[in-house]
Amino acid sequence: MKMVIDGKLMRITELKELGAANATLFRDQVRNSVPSGLKLIEIDLSRTSFIDSCGLGSLIALHKTMCARNGLVRLLNPTAPVQQILELTRMHRIFEIAKR
Amino acid sequence: MPPCDQTSRAALQWKTRVPPDLLAVRLVARQAREFITAHGWGELELSACELALVEACNNALHHIPEDARHLSMEVEVLCDADHVEIRVLDHTAGFEWPDKIELPADHSEGGRGLFLIASLMDRVVYFRNRDGNCMVMSRGRIASAPEDLEKIDQQRILQNAENELMIRDMLEELSSCYDSISTIFRYSSELVKNSRVSDFSHQLLNDLLQITAADWFVLRLKNGMRLVTAATSEGLEINTPLDLNRKEQLEESLELKAGLERQDHWFDQQKPLNPKDPLASWARQSQGFAHPLVFGEELIGTLTIGKSLTARPFTSAPQNVVHTFADFLAIQVVNARFQEEVINNRLVSRELEIAKNIQRSLLPKELPQMPGFSLAGFCESARQVGGDFYDVLRLSSHSVLLVIADVMGKGIPASMFAATLRILLRAMPELTSQPSALMTRVNHLLFAELSGVDMFITAALVYVNIRERRLVTASAGHCPVLIACADQPQVKALTPEGMPLGILPDTLFQEDIAELKPDSRVFLYTDGLADASNTNGESFGQNRLIQWLKSSVGIGQSAGQLKQQLIEELTRFQTGVSPMDDQTFLILAGEPSAAGQSS
Repeated sequence: MKMVIDGKLMRITELKELGAANATLFRDQVRNSVPSGLKLIEIDLSRTSFIDSCGLGSLIALHKTMCARNGLVRLLNPTAPVQQILELTRMHRIFEIAKR
Repeated sequence: MPPCDQTSRAALQWKTRVPPDLLAVRLVARQAREFITAHGWGELELSACELALVEACNNALHHIPEDARHLSMEVEVLCDADHVEIRVLDHTAGFEWPDKIELPADHSEGGRGLFLIASLMDRVVYFRNRDGNCMVMSRGRIASAPEDLEKIDQQRILQNAENELMIRDMLEELSSCYDSISTIFRYSSELVKNSRVSDFSHQLLNDLLQITAADWFVLRLKNGMRLVTAATSEGLEINTPLDLNRKEQLEESLELKAGLERQDHWFDQQKPLNPKDPLASWARQSQGFAHPLVFGEELIGTLTIGKSLTARPFTSAPQNVVHTFADFLAIQVVNARFQEEVINNRLVSRELEIAKNIQRSLLPKELPQMPGFSLAGFCESARQVGGDFYDVLRLSSHSVLLVIADVMGKGIPASMFAATLRILLRAMPELTSQPSALMTRVNHLLFAELSGVDMFITAALVYVNIRERRLVTASAGHCPVLIACADQPQVKALTPEGMPLGILPDTLFQEDIAELKPDSRVFLYTDGLADASNTNGESFGQNRLIQWLKSSVGIGQSAGQLKQQLIEELTRFQTGVSPMDDQTFLILAGEPSAAGQSS
């Protein structure tokens, strides 16, 4: 996983999996790296082949963290299986899911 | 292990033990996926099986008691070309299988595992007993191949079927994107013809309903601190505005919540609208979401769309279309408001131009002359034209009436009252030698009109008779009339009592009578002159005017020369500052030598 901070934006890329085995670590790593004044976290899911319910939980936790700072989490280009899970669990109601 | 579904053909079996560890679960799930892949299953089906297996194992790990941490789970996969069955056997205390499996609240971080298993698999059974528990999950393929084809062909056909499904989904999304883009282009060109935002948004949003398969919409736009209904689909009547200041109503209105929190808020059977929500009375059988319209940082309004509870819920594709339409609409609303502002500004500047023309036409083109005395007047309009004017009425060869007035108000209305006052003063020649009587009469005539529009006029009238050497002054709350002459050490400031015109219907005006000397200077002005300020914020002030007038006595300058001198002094004083109010003055100057020559 790669994390780059650019002003008010944090970009997370090269995330291969987001499951029970790494979700807590992922959540804590991101949370601890969020500088004050950050308004947007963009998580690129174009390389993410697997997500499970714990992975979804970690995304929601980050969403809550950002909401408390009047910020936003945006999910970018999910792969077909991940998109299927996001739709099934209605994550599009919580996150902006963008395709670029 | 309890008996499981029998498949039509001999199922191939794969079995393994899983240590109670999350990483081990992932490894086994990947191996299971590889095993199913060998039977030609498609990408999405493989992902579904892999995830269901992971969720089942993780769920078991979650319920493992301390004393069973050393015990492994067992995973068994039975698979052929049409059917897959996955069994997970654990040695935990197990759990109660719920009667109904639903998604937890949107913001809950857990509780989606069983929902995923139940949604991804066709059939799930959970058995509990003393030695352990077994979850049996099975599913069939999306499409089945005919029996008599070769295996390789079956795989190809199945693969094709899945590809077709994916292509259909992509086409659906592409076509909704195409629809939204073409609609937006069409409306962009239509907007040029039809600039009414409400008509335009009505058409645009009706098309949005078609594209997103929604039944209704409500568009609200921000007006001050309220969200006001701007357009709705046919048959809906939502008139109650939403107050953006009333944050305590946040839970009562989904639209208010979406607007204030700047994010989508959803409603459906599981998460119904608050009964007090203005949408609730007719949207009870609906599902949908409210979306904020934002431009930059500014909230423009909200757009809510909905459809029947029995219809397929909105997915992210129509949601993205709504977002695109809303972004476009927000830009158009901002643009329309900007246009409106430009037109209003044009109207205002046109009005100011008309007002300036009226004001200019009120000023006398030439001033009457009297032997031994000269007259000069000055009136400079400020940026926001008011209603200043001066006038000199010739009554006889040896008498005039000096008039100065300031209408409190701006633009055309102020100029109109100035014009009316000027005509009234000229229409009563019998009273021009009695300034107080004239003022009383004029006040009486103008009172109703002035008080009706909350305006008033300050004015000063000075009757000048050079034969009688008499000055008679009346004032309606106006600046003092200044009189200076050589044998008087002090400049007189006459302020005979009187309320401004338009304040009281029957007010009385006092008169001040003064002697007119051959070298007298009589100076009338409006407050815009005394209030003129410089870059330091300092006022020109009445004292400076008095000093200037005093120093002008005895030098023998004409009124025209004095006027030039004062204009120069004023220009110097207010360099770099644009006057806030009209600046007007009128000078009568005695010229003893000229009088001597003429007499």
